[in-house]
Amino acid sequence: MRSDETVTQELTGIQSTDIEAALDPVEADGVYRDSRQCAALALFTGAGKLLLSPPTPRPKKG
Amino acid sequence: MEQSGTSTLLQGAVQDLASGVVSALRGGDHTRSVLPAGTDGEAGDLALAAVRVLGSDALLPALLLRTPPDPAEVAVFRKAVEAYPPRADAAPTVRWSHWGMARTLRRVDPSVTAGPPDEPGTGWLDEAGWQTLTHQLAVLAPLALPGEDCAVSRLAGCHPVDVARGFVRAVRRRDWRQAAGAGRWLTLLPAVPDTVGLASGLDFVELMGGQDPLVALHVQAARLMRSGARV
Repeated sequence: MRSDETVTQELTGIQSTDIEAALDPVEADGVYRDSRQCAALALFTGAGKLLLSPPTPRPKKG
Repeated sequence: MEQSGTSTLLQGAVQDLASGVVSALRGGDHTRSVLPAGTDGEAGDLALAAVRVLGSDALLPALLLRTPPDPAEVAVFRKAVEAYPPRADAAPTVRWSHWGMARTLRRVDPSVTAGPPDEPGTGWLDEAGWQTLTHQLAVLAPLALPGEDCAVSRLAGCHPVDVARGFVRAVRRRDWRQAAGAGRWLTLLPAVPDTVGLASGLDFVELMGGQDPLVALHVQAARLMRSGARV
């Protein structure tokens, strides 16, 4: 059975790989809001501004 | 994905450190004692690693508020820079984070006489789409400082519409960290479309995600920079 000290040492044994993983995170999965939340967002931004209006998509190449 | 105990501990330490930075940026009581006082023992290792992960933002109050950093804080920051250099095969974001810390250290520590480190390069973003570009820029948000030029900031300056689009996407995906980081960059970029509604957007990001200290940090930094704070 491992002692508490051993466990603590393992838990706090920061490796450079832990740091590099924290500094190079993958993109979080998106969670899209439903229509009621979208409405709340529109109200929050007020007077037609704008978060629901991303810039116009660029034309496709080719 | 399940996280290891070490990674959970590290994330908690980073969030604690970020909370202190946010408090200092907001003019809280401890504008100078943001970094841990000592770095001895295992707790010290964790604190040092947290400083390395938070990067240049660990000393952001000194940079944006122009308050002289506490020498003990600078010593901890320097120790983090020296203790965790990027490995040869490290990801570009890891290398840029370390480069940014070295730049900050040169600014705050007159005893550092070494020349500026070489920039890691931005080749990995040459073919990146606007989604990837925004994600990577958000990860590198500590480099978004007024008047501080580097290859990443120049590249961001060439893509204001892409970053604006990425900001909106992050908000709609409820990725508050990415939104806050992208919003911080947008405060510095030229020709950002007015239709983004950046000020309202930052308010919304803070409202929805501000309980995360890393989100609050970038939003507060963006507000200070929008109000004219210079490094």
